Amino acid sequence: MVVAGAAARGPRSSIGRYLRAVEAELDLRADALDERFGRARPSLGSLYLGGGTPSLLPAPAVARLVELVRTRFGLAPDAEVTIEANPGPDDRGDAGELRAAGVTRLSIGAQSMNDAELRRLGRRHRMSDTAATVAAARGAGIPSISLDLLYDVPDQSVATFASSLEAALAVAPDHLSLYALTLDDPAAEGLTGPTGDHLPPSPGALRWRAAARAEQDEDRAAAMYELAFTRLAAAGFRGYEISNWARPGHESRHNLAYWRRDPHEAVGPGAHAFDGVERRWNAAHLAAYLGALAPGDGTPPGLPPGAAETPDRRAAAAEQTILALRLDTGVSTDEAATGPLAPHLAWARDAGLLASIGDGRVALTTRGRLLSNELFTKLI
Amino acid sequence: MTSGAGYRVAQDRLRNFSIIAHIDHGKSTLADRLLEVTHTVEGRQMMSQVLDSMDLEREKGITIKARAVRLEYTARDGLTYGLNLIDTPGHVDFSYEVSRSLQACEGAILVVDAAQGIEAQTLANVHLALRENLTIVPVINKIDLPSAQPEVVMEELETVLAIPREEVILASAKEGTGIEDILEAIVTRIPPPKGDPREPLQGLVFDSHYDPYKGVIVYVRLAAGTLHVHDRIRLMASGAEAELLELGVFRPQLVPVKTLVAGEVGYVATGLKNVREAQVGDTVTTVDRPAATPLPGYQAAKSLVFAGIYPVAGEDYPELRDAIEKLHLNDASFSYEPESSVALGFGFRCGFLGLLHMEIVQERLEREFDLDLIASAPSVEYEVTLLTGGPPVQVDNPAKLPPIGEIEAIAEPWVRASIVTPSSYIGPLMELSTNRRGAFIDLEYIDPVRVLMRFELPLAELIVDYYDQLKTRTAGYASLDYEEIGYRTGDLVKLDVLVNAEPVDALSTIVAREKAPNVGRTLTARLKELIPRQMFEIPIQAAIGSHVIARETVRALRKNVLAKCYGGDITRKRKLLEKQKEGKRRMKRVGSVEIPQEAFLAMLRTDEA
Repeated sequence: MVVAGAAARGPRSSIGRYLRAVEAELDLRADALDERFGRARPSLGSLYLGGGTPSLLPAPAVARLVELVRTRFGLAPDAEVTIEANPGPDDRGDAGELRAAGVTRLSIGAQSMNDAELRRLGRRHRMSDTAATVAAARGAGIPSISLDLLYDVPDQSVATFASSLEAALAVAPDHLSLYALTLDDPAAEGLTGPTGDHLPPSPGALRWRAAARAEQDEDRAAAMYELAFTRLAAAGFRGYEISNWARPGHESRHNLAYWRRDPHEAVGPGAHAFDGVERRWNAAHLAAYLGALAPGDGTPPGLPPGAAETPDRRAAAAEQTILALRLDTGVSTDEAATGPLAPHLAWARDAGLLASIGDGRVALTTRGRLLSNELFTKLI
Repeated sequence: MTSGAGYRVAQDRLRNFSIIAHIDHGKSTLADRLLEVTHTVEGRQMMSQVLDSMDLEREKGITIKARAVRLEYTARDGLTYGLNLIDTPGHVDFSYEVSRSLQACEGAILVVDAAQGIEAQTLANVHLALRENLTIVPVINKIDLPSAQPEVVMEELETVLAIPREEVILASAKEGTGIEDILEAIVTRIPPPKGDPREPLQGLVFDSHYDPYKGVIVYVRLAAGTLHVHDRIRLMASGAEAELLELGVFRPQLVPVKTLVAGEVGYVATGLKNVREAQVGDTVTTVDRPAATPLPGYQAAKSLVFAGIYPVAGEDYPELRDAIEKLHLNDASFSYEPESSVALGFGFRCGFLGLLHMEIVQERLEREFDLDLIASAPSVEYEVTLLTGGPPVQVDNPAKLPPIGEIEAIAEPWVRASIVTPSSYIGPLMELSTNRRGAFIDLEYIDPVRVLMRFELPLAELIVDYYDQLKTRTAGYASLDYEEIGYRTGDLVKLDVLVNAEPVDALSTIVAREKAPNVGRTLTARLKELIPRQMFEIPIQAAIGSHVIARETVRALRKNVLAKCYGGDITRKRKLLEKQKEGKRRMKRVGSVEIPQEAFLAMLRTDEA
């Protein structure tokens, strides 16, 4: 289950109405599941409050959301409950209250452990804020803490990235996500229409991205990734997915469900759900979302605008293999040697992108991870 | 719609004319205005460039194919005249089409821009028209422009083309001024067509297109005789016979009529399935009462530029073959024959009137037939004399050049280029032309600030971005026209390109020995830019024989990865991957290297300062 505010941008004054809308959607989605599968559904294994900065929500609101999910969908006793937080002092939320609300995992958008890079990225927080956020979470007893770091950032050198990575390791997170800075334009991809799951970037953001893009360097980025790969392995982290590393037992169960193509429910503007066959999403526009779910004129809430898509069998099979290959557990040798995708996987083995990892499985090599699209475009 | 009978006009009230103009001087706007004023096209159907019906023509703002339209005009003498406007292309590549159209006319409206003055193509077109003995109606257009200098332009017309200023009509097609004067001049100055309607039928085919329902539709200008619907006709050169299904005039859409008489311009639906049976230049006559002799036809279009056209995906070859055959029915001015390339597989060697023509044919094949194509580097046709004697061998594909040890001499086509330019650019144009192995011939002032320069240079040098350079170096002010002047022997060598140590025949080119190192360096540098990084390092070499003269390396790709991929991203990421795949699909795999389409045209840009 995801509760996303990914695309929600709005004034703090509309938080109350936003929460009413999210709660209304939770009820409507649960009603639909009740109708389809009955009330005796298996409980959720994970809950993810993310996209945007959910740590901005007042702690009681977070607690109420978790409770509502527990009541309507069921939460397994050992369920992983993640909330995303920005490290800024005003953004990070109160760790103790979050823990009390049921949060078991904190995903911190550290981005960099270098103040110059943070300024270049336009972030308000400093590296010390990240350290403070981790310390507070530890103090509150949140069992699993993750940091997001960016590489291929303008003005970043392999050396500054290496020291940023060391500083991140020094605060002893349980999990690290490493993302190459992606400077895309969702409008150009056609994702920002009335039913699109993204908001159009502002002209200023587009200008910033265009300027930053010119300072990116794929060779330098590859060197950073290779460095991280070696360093994190030495620090006892397992690179269990192309962009994700964890100490044993701290792999994100929620995200693993995506890569295993397990079904998930989702609410919030821009949120995506998957029932095992169909992918459905809510439109990103906050006004339309609020208008449908928290109409405020006495009419009952209705589902927000959105769209759905069912990948055909070939696309679904390709998707399944691609997602599996993002993980260090890869695919089984049997699976790789039979079926329509076999020639491409054989090619990838010959090209050194794929290698045997024992136990009758093959997975991407480090080079294979960095060049994974070369294989994935063949599989699609 | 008016009934067909309304279009019958006595021969002495017919006028057949063309509009000739340099590109951008307002030919299409003037044609639009004539159509509007004579109510040929009603206001609500009026869109600009009415006669340019191809999407490409509207997009590029140029006329590619000649077209005809019948206007009805009631003149100041109170009589109604039938005016046949035969539109002509304005670009130098299509001067062949221009001359064809002019042969169907008795007069031509010469349009000159009041701000730009005479351009190179104005001169060329006027000479073509005079060669056909046409009456010229000179029009200075765009007099509404603040920069208009009609006095200067009249001076130019007088000194360069001996056109008396009293004959010149001042007009603004945009604002509609002078349009009546032009129509009156067409009626009073251009003679009616000659030809006896009672003689046996002779009709010159000046264009054709294929219609899936009506078969080949030929555009004819009747020189003698009368054509009736249901006549049985014969095409004198091919011998093909057909019962006439329909005949009519252009309004500009096809409007059926019952008869066409000598002097008229119209169309004939033949029902023939093969355009080769009714080729441009053939003469239509009737089976019952055939003409004794055919009309003098046209010279076949001469291809100046040759290139291989290949499907990106080899399995699309049959579709490409069908597409080329179909397109050729509508545009007989390109030639094609099957060829194969080691690098590109099976395709066709095509001959074009010029580079623009090549670009247009490729674009039409891709758009109208939904194909992904690769064009190999364009080449001119060389004449190779072998040491073993015998007549020279024609080589239009550098890859097919015989081994150097067997060659006695290579000759290449030369052209005479006429350039009209402000005199301040004489220096840069001299430099450009001598860099291109050109020889300066002469220069004359056509007005106090503009000159006509003439150079002779190899056609091969002209097709490599000479025109773009000319425009760049003169801030767009210079104009160019050229004509062939025959073959000359040169010190030429074949430059091969090796990608990942494998020669790519489609990238071979023939160059002057003295320029080979420079071309080699430029070409490898451009290819380095155009060939995307791949999973291994790719050396790119330019070589003469086994001697490598330039080398670049495309470094190995190190990173192509989607950073994030979570629940909300999966659909989006799949689409991004699909897009990447589509990009790769549009590239040609040569050996183990994927080469984009543009790479094969790398030599068309030299990056000269």
